[in-house]
Amino acid sequence: MIFRPRTFGAKLLLLVVAVVAAAQIATWLIVSRYNARAAEKLIDDELQQAAQTFTRIVNYRNSLLVAGASTAARASEIKRQFVRGRDDPLTFASALDSIRLSSRSDIVAALTLEADLIAATMPAMAAGDILKQLVGRAEADPSPNPSAAGFGILDGQLYSLVLAPVRAPDIIAWLLIGFRIDRDFTAELKAMTGIDLTFFDVQGRPLASTLPPATIGGIAASLHALGDDHASHRLELSGETALVALRRLSVGSGKNAILALQYSLDEKLAPARATEKTLLIVATASLVVAIFLSRAFARRLVQPIVELVGHTRRIAAGDYSIRNTAYRTDELGRLSEAFDQMSRGLSERDRIRDLLDKNVSPEVAAQLLRDGAALGGEERQVTILFVDLRGFTTMSERYAPRELLTLLNRYLDRMSRAIEENGGIVDKYIGDAIMALFGAPVDQPDAPGRAIAAALAMQRALADFNRELVAEGRPPLAIGVGINTARVVAGNIGSARRLNYSVIGDGVNVAARLQSLTRDPAYATNIIVSAQTVRASTPPFAVRDLGSVAVKGRAEPVAIYAIDG
Amino acid sequence: MHSKSPLIPVGAVLLLAACMLSPVFAADVGRVRVEVRDNKGAPVPDAVASLHPLDRPATVTPPAEPAVIVQDKEEFRPYVTAVVTGTRIRFPNQDKVQHHVFSLSKAKTFDIPLYRGEPKEPVLFDQPGIVSLGCDIHDWMSAYVLVLSTPHFVKTAEDGIASLADLPAGRYRLEVWHPRLKAPDQREVALRAADTATKVVSVTLGFDRRISRNPESGGGAYK
Repeated sequence: MIFRPRTFGAKLLLLVVAVVAAAQIATWLIVSRYNARAAEKLIDDELQQAAQTFTRIVNYRNSLLVAGASTAARASEIKRQFVRGRDDPLTFASALDSIRLSSRSDIVAALTLEADLIAATMPAMAAGDILKQLVGRAEADPSPNPSAAGFGILDGQLYSLVLAPVRAPDIIAWLLIGFRIDRDFTAELKAMTGIDLTFFDVQGRPLASTLPPATIGGIAASLHALGDDHASHRLELSGETALVALRRLSVGSGKNAILALQYSLDEKLAPARATEKTLLIVATASLVVAIFLSRAFARRLVQPIVELVGHTRRIAAGDYSIRNTAYRTDELGRLSEAFDQMSRGLSERDRIRDLLDKNVSPEVAAQLLRDGAALGGEERQVTILFVDLRGFTTMSERYAPRELLTLLNRYLDRMSRAIEENGGIVDKYIGDAIMALFGAPVDQPDAPGRAIAAALAMQRALADFNRELVAEGRPPLAIGVGINTARVVAGNIGSARRLNYSVIGDGVNVAARLQSLTRDPAYATNIIVSAQTVRASTPPFAVRDLGSVAVKGRAEPVAIYAIDG
Repeated sequence: MHSKSPLIPVGAVLLLAACMLSPVFAADVGRVRVEVRDNKGAPVPDAVASLHPLDRPATVTPPAEPAVIVQDKEEFRPYVTAVVTGTRIRFPNQDKVQHHVFSLSKAKTFDIPLYRGEPKEPVLFDQPGIVSLGCDIHDWMSAYVLVLSTPHFVKTAEDGIASLADLPAGRYRLEVWHPRLKAPDQREVALRAADTATKVVSVTLGFDRRISRNPESGGGAYK
């Protein structure tokens, strides 16, 4: 199952943790591996250097011993012993012992040119063929002072041996000088190199070592498995990993003593391990810091988003009053700003829509919003209604402007409601007059009937209004209504900046003219409609024929009727 | 003063040419010219060529006057001296410092403890063989006395040539010795009247083991 974080914070946290952890783990691995490799390389170098140091020390000591012993052997009487020594080996051996003491060596022996032992300071000297090998090598040395060095197991001990010529002044014999490779020597070598070392005899038994017995045993057990001389080998010794390098020391008869150089890898790595531990702590700490930072960052980032979501919901619910506070400087800030602009825009549009609803009829507003406001027009059958307040001029003289306007608006409000309740729309207010349309912009099959019904409703509404006025101590009002039905041009009329939906045509003038006819007392009616209107309606009302009347600007007379309620 | 000997590399090979020429003065007397060169063709001085008659006993008469090996500038001179058995040799010291001439060789073991000038007695070399001389206090001083039981011998000069004259016809053992030869080169040579023969002998020399008096000045500075 794959864990899919739901929130941005969780995603960010996961990402940061993954990246930081990966980086830290990679760093740790790289450092750790590098340290291990560097330590191995370092130990390997140190082991090789220690081996070289061993060789140098041996060579140096050999040269000191050769110098010392040769000086002692050149003494006149000692020199003669090399010729006559066989006659009195005991005396010669004691003379050699004297040389051993003065040269600070551990063994001194005299050999014939044929590598036969004449005398030695060590009585039992089973050296195998190492003496013959040394003499052979010394003879092959082209130097005026030929010599040869090697190792030998004498009396169960490992010796470094060196051969020097005895002269008279020809080379008459060989002087063998040696020092024992013992505990003191290994300790001294360790003090110089810092490397632990162990010498093994040809059977792999330890002869001298700087290591504890358990570790020596571990190396001894692995001796046969370790081949090549010049490579370091990894060994598990006494629970520690160590690198071991071997040097085989020929002791003659095709046999080798072994020098094992050892250094603990764990010991060398200890400071590196401490650093790695610190690194691990730092890694953990940085991970924790990263977690906190990412959470804080996510919160900072998410909080305005959550806020915006809330705002969106409120805007969806129609509340545009919400504003974002304190814009951030980043993209979210710009989003908040844009959001607020959008909110303001929506609010403005709503307000306009609201105003539109108040200023034009809802139907026109809807059509405008739907079709857009455009100049244009269509010819359609429309019933036009005009209603006018009688004696408005007298009124305006009687009342103060504010009072007049209040009164007018109360009147217009009632009339408009009567029109709208009957499916008409108020086209425009012309002072105290109202022009209303039926069948536009939305088709109404019974538009003429509705117009008449609206006129009657206005009469009733006026009666109510008059009762109020009388109650207020004001004189009652009277109206005249003219209704005509005709084909007219309907559309948005005006400039590109300001448009009004309206109708124009002869039929409109007729309706206005019929309205003004109501003032004629001869007709004795408040509502005069044209024949086209009456014909198109099914009257639940009383219709009275008023005959024909000539209308200004029209050739034919118009048949008119009075609606008497 | 012993002559300069060329440095010969390890395993150097000497070519020994023995050229037998026609007798000059008498029908039964011949001459032998021996030329010693190393394998690079350079002449080898301080080699001793000797002829040992095989058909007759060799009779030697030691010279009345002793031979002389001087010590001069802390060196023996000459480096190689060939004498017949019974020859006495004087060892005059011409240096201001004393010398202790000695030999541990079987043919003649002797000591002349530290002295200046002329020792009282010359040293008698009464056994044939090689005598290696040294000075007990100057390790680099080295000289050789080759004691021979034949009167026919010549030491090669700087040009590596040794000429033997007044040789009766007959068979000889030709021996060539040099301080750096492990053993003398030996071969039989038949010398007939008015006869000429050439023999080439190859000999391997050992390393030059003489102690350097001035090791600091580098190799080759042997005096």
